[in-house]
Amino acid sequence: MENLMHLFEGFNYLFTLQNIGVTMIGAVLGLLVGAMPGIGSLAGVALLLPLTFKFNPTTAIIMLGSLYYANMYGGAFSAILIGIPGDGPAVMTMMDGYPMATQKNRPGQALLTSNISSFIGGTIGMIILTFMGPSLANAGLRFGPAEMTALLLLAMTSIGWLVGENPTKGLVLTMFGILLASMGMDTLSGTPRYDFGNIYLLGGIPFVPFVIGMVGFSQVIRLMGDRHKETQIAVKKLSIKESMITFHDLKRLLPPAIRSGFLGTFVGVLPGAGATTAAFMGYAVQKSFKSEEPLGTGAIEGIAACEAANNAAAAGAFAPLLALGIPGSGTGAVLLGGLMMWGLNPGPLLFTNSPEFAWSLIASLFLANIITLIIAWGIIPFLIKILSVPTRLMIPAITVVCIVGSYSTSNSMFGIVVMFIAGVLGYVLGNAGYSTAPAILSFVLAPLLESNMRKAFIISQGSLDFFYTKPIALAFMIILVLVILFPLIRLVLTKAGVMKKK
Amino acid sequence: MGRKVKQMDQEKKKKGFPIMQVIPIVGILISVVFIYLGFAKYGFWDTFKGPRPGFFPIIISCLMLVASLVALATSYKEENIEWPKENWILPLSVLGIFVATFVIGLLPSIAIFVLLWLKKFEKCTWKTTLTVFVIIMAVVVGVFVLWLGIPFPKGMILDAINN
Amino acid sequence: MKKKISFIVTVLLFVAFVPLFAQGAPEAASEGFVPSKDIEWIVTSSPGGGSDIYTRTISDIMTRKNLVNGQTFLINNKTDGGGEVGRLQVSRTKEGKTANHTLLTFNSGDHGPMIKNTANRIENFTPIAVMAVDKQLLYIGEHSKYSSFKEVLDAVNSGTNIVIAGSKGDDISTYELLVKELGVTQNQIAFITNDSTSDAITSVLGGHVDIVMSKPAAADQYVAAKLLTPILALAETRFTGNLASAPTLSEVGNYKNVENPIWRGVVGPKSMSEEAAAYWSKAFQAVSESSEWEAEYITKYKLISEFRNKDAAKTYMENFQKTYLASLGK
Repeated sequence: MENLMHLFEGFNYLFTLQNIGVTMIGAVLGLLVGAMPGIGSLAGVALLLPLTFKFNPTTAIIMLGSLYYANMYGGAFSAILIGIPGDGPAVMTMMDGYPMATQKNRPGQALLTSNISSFIGGTIGMIILTFMGPSLANAGLRFGPAEMTALLLLAMTSIGWLVGENPTKGLVLTMFGILLASMGMDTLSGTPRYDFGNIYLLGGIPFVPFVIGMVGFSQVIRLMGDRHKETQIAVKKLSIKESMITFHDLKRLLPPAIRSGFLGTFVGVLPGAGATTAAFMGYAVQKSFKSEEPLGTGAIEGIAACEAANNAAAAGAFAPLLALGIPGSGTGAVLLGGLMMWGLNPGPLLFTNSPEFAWSLIASLFLANIITLIIAWGIIPFLIKILSVPTRLMIPAITVVCIVGSYSTSNSMFGIVVMFIAGVLGYVLGNAGYSTAPAILSFVLAPLLESNMRKAFIISQGSLDFFYTKPIALAFMIILVLVILFPLIRLVLTKAGVMKKK
Repeated sequence: MGRKVKQMDQEKKKKGFPIMQVIPIVGILISVVFIYLGFAKYGFWDTFKGPRPGFFPIIISCLMLVASLVALATSYKEENIEWPKENWILPLSVLGIFVATFVIGLLPSIAIFVLLWLKKFEKCTWKTTLTVFVIIMAVVVGVFVLWLGIPFPKGMILDAINN
Repeated sequence: MKKKISFIVTVLLFVAFVPLFAQGAPEAASEGFVPSKDIEWIVTSSPGGGSDIYTRTISDIMTRKNLVNGQTFLINNKTDGGGEVGRLQVSRTKEGKTANHTLLTFNSGDHGPMIKNTANRIENFTPIAVMAVDKQLLYIGEHSKYSSFKEVLDAVNSGTNIVIAGSKGDDISTYELLVKELGVTQNQIAFITNDSTSDAITSVLGGHVDIVMSKPAAADQYVAAKLLTPILALAETRFTGNLASAPTLSEVGNYKNVENPIWRGVVGPKSMSEEAAAYWSKAFQAVSESSEWEAEYITKYKLISEFRNKDAAKTYMENFQKTYLASLGK
């Protein structure tokens, strides 16, 4: 197959000592930066971009690719080890990763699961990218505002699954997250919304400090209660062998990882949806499949589902980026800028005009995937050591990282303010039985839903017909109706004796 | 909104504070504010362009209002929670760092925080304190200052020196 | 005794850290300004974006051509409040050395929202230069129902409603000028604001919208790949190269040409000294005349290099402000 030939050529360009060295450096740096809370992949790639300036274009691009990729791996580390997600996608990883590391006392296994799932997801994504890149990108184009609205409505209903035991409280927080997200500049009308006359709120509430605060800082405040415990967990031996997963574990993580790999790739292709959305949807889909342990308590399936999805989305995002020059997200835009700086012009003409660049980049992603896996695997013992630090020493350390990380996202004290308020809020709400995860997810998804919905209405001149005249949108709406009605249908069928009572 | 939350913070320090009722009440207040502003300032629906800026927030706020009311109703059945006073020292310290930043800059404030926290609050030995201090500052300065070049606020004093 | 020691050590450690954060060379004799410390250049958008690239390219060229007396540029991306916080902060910088070493990337896309949404005005800044301008075109995609702007107008006149996709900021005001000149309502030709031009282009490529407004750079590769075709030049004269086929508005019908030049400039705080402003203006002029600027930025990103020094820039920006305020009814 032609693309495979091109890929092998790409590998050819890749395998020089310098390029391999650069891939390794990129992987290490990407891991480091990805693990820092506050520096998500967007800031991470942007800040590391200048490092690549010294090299020739092909080498620079290879380094950039591996930086970006390793960033996705790194985000899970802090999520699993200290309960502070390094960036958006890691929020979902934390939901099962952190309990698995602390409550179930299997940190090494959690990290390894995350790494392997990332690898699987990423590989699936890249294989799809290699063979179907341009057509996938074109398929993504077909998702206009109407289709995205339908899809996102469907996605929003699955937040309900995350809500946990108390739906009322979950609903309050989900709505709260959406309202928070609506504060700031309203792009479609060009006017500020709910800024209460405050100049900082003109730009809305920045996502990263919000997450760091609500999930991370609140966690640290909570940890104050555990200060007098000697260590967070009792760590027996710190060796790679101790953190190996069992064969049974492997069997458990494969199905979610593979499913999420495909799902994540596709979500990554969609306009506006990135790794965070993919991770969330992977997790939500996993909810409807069997997991040995319930999700949210440290199930391997949970980690596998979201980590595979977010790496796959990173790969998927390259499809529209390279084939059409369309960055699907902020990170993509930075990558695009970086690529253009070396005269690589992603877009329809890329594969015709500069095939060796394009395929070297894709080949480098494969290589980066493997190298990052190996490195990440190797440093697991060192990472676990972090967990053996006494809680009371961790508290100031994590607090400092939260503060510095929140500042760095926009170089401003406002980030710290947001983090602080979100942290206190998260602490109070958490203690009162309100789970904060729905707020974060609705914060991410709702703006996408709203802007797509309004655009769809502008195109349709205010009529609802786009829900049923466009085939893709119609398909999703049908699924949506089915999903909503399903519990009802099941109730009826159970009463009628047709279905067994659950 | 920020004001309301800060007020909530201060009030919470009283013993036996009925937080389970306060949260839904705050939820109700927020929904009402958003609904009001939505209609008054941002508009609901435009014949041609469809939803106006207020449309989505208003619907969401209505949902939140309903949910908050239900939560308020059920909250009377719930137990009240303990709030260990000690935990609040951490947020207070962060506030302190925030304020101190304007005078001496962020990094020095953090440095002082770490030292004071470990030595005075946790009562660690000098060896532990300094080791942890050096590691934290090394990571912060190494990664954020030297490598990523983030410009941290320097505070009034240093700004005055420099100018 | 222990308490005293710990206190002294704390103070010593604190003092030890101070030099890390202090910086600056002693003030040079004030005969004409020459940069004597790190220069803080504020960009009110995120790294990797258009303004960021613009800033870094210029600072890079200045450093290479030794236009800043060996001093370093500290580029600070301040994105809070949609950029308003950074702008406000610069405008409020007090007189002194810092003010003379503070620059702010300032475009029409910054100026417009600033005067629309805040009380900040150009009078609070010292204009230093305008470096380049950019203009827009309207394009159609492969799936579009229309193949020329004339057809679009005919459709509008016969009752069909058209949607143009564009990006936030400058595109909106260009759209409003166009609609006004054509004498149609904003419902007959509607505008969808996207966060970026590439989002707008995506919606056209997918056939969801018929027309997209874009500057030449963003659409270039799609035109080359024949996925986009220019149908209207929003300028006084036609463009060149692969955009030459697009007529200006006056060629399509009995209308005046519509153009809304998007400019990219630089300003400093109001309190910046006259000498400093003159120095910077000259430095930017040198960049503008350099071959590096032409090759690394103008040609690459397909803008039009148009330099205005600080006085011309001041007039230009003030005019822009006046016109825009009038159109807003302020």
